[in-house]
Amino acid sequence: MLVVEDLQFGFRHRPLIRNLSFSLNPGQLMHLQGPNGCGKTTLLNLLTGLYQPGGGRIRLLDGEQELDPPRHREYLASESNGLYGKLDAMTNLRFWSSLRGRYPDEQALIGELAAWKLDHPLVRSGFPVERFSTGMKRRLALARLNLSGTRLWLLDEPLNGLDPGGISAFEQGLRRHLDHQGMAIMVSHDASVFRNFAPVELSPNGETS
Amino acid sequence: MSGFAGHTALLLRHGLRVEFSSPERLISPLLFAATILVILTFTLGEPEPAMVISWFVAQSYLTGFFALQISVSRAFEPDTPDGAFQLLRTYPVSPAAWFLSRYLLVLLMGSMVLLPTLFLCAFFHSRAGITLIDGPVVLIAVLSLMGLSAIGVLLTTMTLQSGARQILYPVLYFPLTTPVLLAAVESTTAHLGQGVTFGALMGSWLGLLLIFDVVYFTLGLLLFGELIRAT
Repeated sequence: MLVVEDLQFGFRHRPLIRNLSFSLNPGQLMHLQGPNGCGKTTLLNLLTGLYQPGGGRIRLLDGEQELDPPRHREYLASESNGLYGKLDAMTNLRFWSSLRGRYPDEQALIGELAAWKLDHPLVRSGFPVERFSTGMKRRLALARLNLSGTRLWLLDEPLNGLDPGGISAFEQGLRRHLDHQGMAIMVSHDASVFRNFAPVELSPNGETS
Repeated sequence: MSGFAGHTALLLRHGLRVEFSSPERLISPLLFAATILVILTFTLGEPEPAMVISWFVAQSYLTGFFALQISVSRAFEPDTPDGAFQLLRTYPVSPAAWFLSRYLLVLLMGSMVLLPTLFLCAFFHSRAGITLIDGPVVLIAVLSLMGLSAIGVLLTTMTLQSGARQILYPVLYFPLTTPVLLAAVESTTAHLGQGVTFGALMGSWLGLLLIFDVVYFTLGLLLFGELIRAT
């Protein structure tokens, strides 16, 4: 369970998030909504630890036990995928997984890449990801997300660059994650992705779009 | 393999893989060093016998230093284009492991620039009696590299998000590395010119070099976490 209490944050003299409190239960999806500049990405950055809050606290709980957030959350930024362009898809996935202490075998990696249509032998190995298209890079970043085994996904415009097949694969992955008692907080201006879910709506500063 | 040692080894191995996937990153400082050495050797000609050691030391450290500066200032370059640096900040990796792996990577890559530079410079001066591979000279060079790498990683991290990075980095790097360079140059000159033993040097310039190595490494280890939180 994610518990956010009295969260505050501002850039210099401009307060952006004031006394924000909410909680998210296992199996729940939260849709962060609101107009541009209302603090959606800022809130995600606070939840990932990239920004330090000016006040309040963020806790990730397993029953009564407090969890170490970096071990249990995975972040997907809107404009970047966290890929090493000179390395191939398999090496990228292996690196990020191993940092979490997870060592998926070759077949598991290929299986994950297959879910994203990136499993062709000429694509998955020996082919630098810098030559991937925008959509292929996004698919690979989403494959990393699936392999992370984390409880909380923080997603900023995850559909950027995805074609209908990619969106469908994303929806399936998200459904699986929620069914396994995972949590997700997502920013997306494409509301159609939420049609098959029943997300909790939240606007970081109370404004709605 | 998690924990401090595991993460350090993992990040180092990954860093090496990334470095060698783009050979230009090693080749360009090496070519730069070779070009500078050739130009200096051809323009300055054969030095007076009394000046051979000074010229050797000046040429090798000057060239090595600028070649290393190119190399060190690009320490985080592969992590930045697609947000891997920011993503790493969200991962359960200790800043100390991250710093240590980056420090060792810069040290290894720097050795691949500095040692050939020393060898080539010694080769150009070999007719004047400079030994091609002189153990203590190599050791002094590696000790200077240890200090330069620590402060280099720290400053590269510090200036990572700065818009004025291209100006800020050399402005901070050059003054901070002066004591390391001075101690290395004096130690090498004393060893080659006056035959001062390594043990005797420990009580003077070489000792100072070691102290700066320890200070800069400790600073790096302690400040890296704060710096990556602030970027």
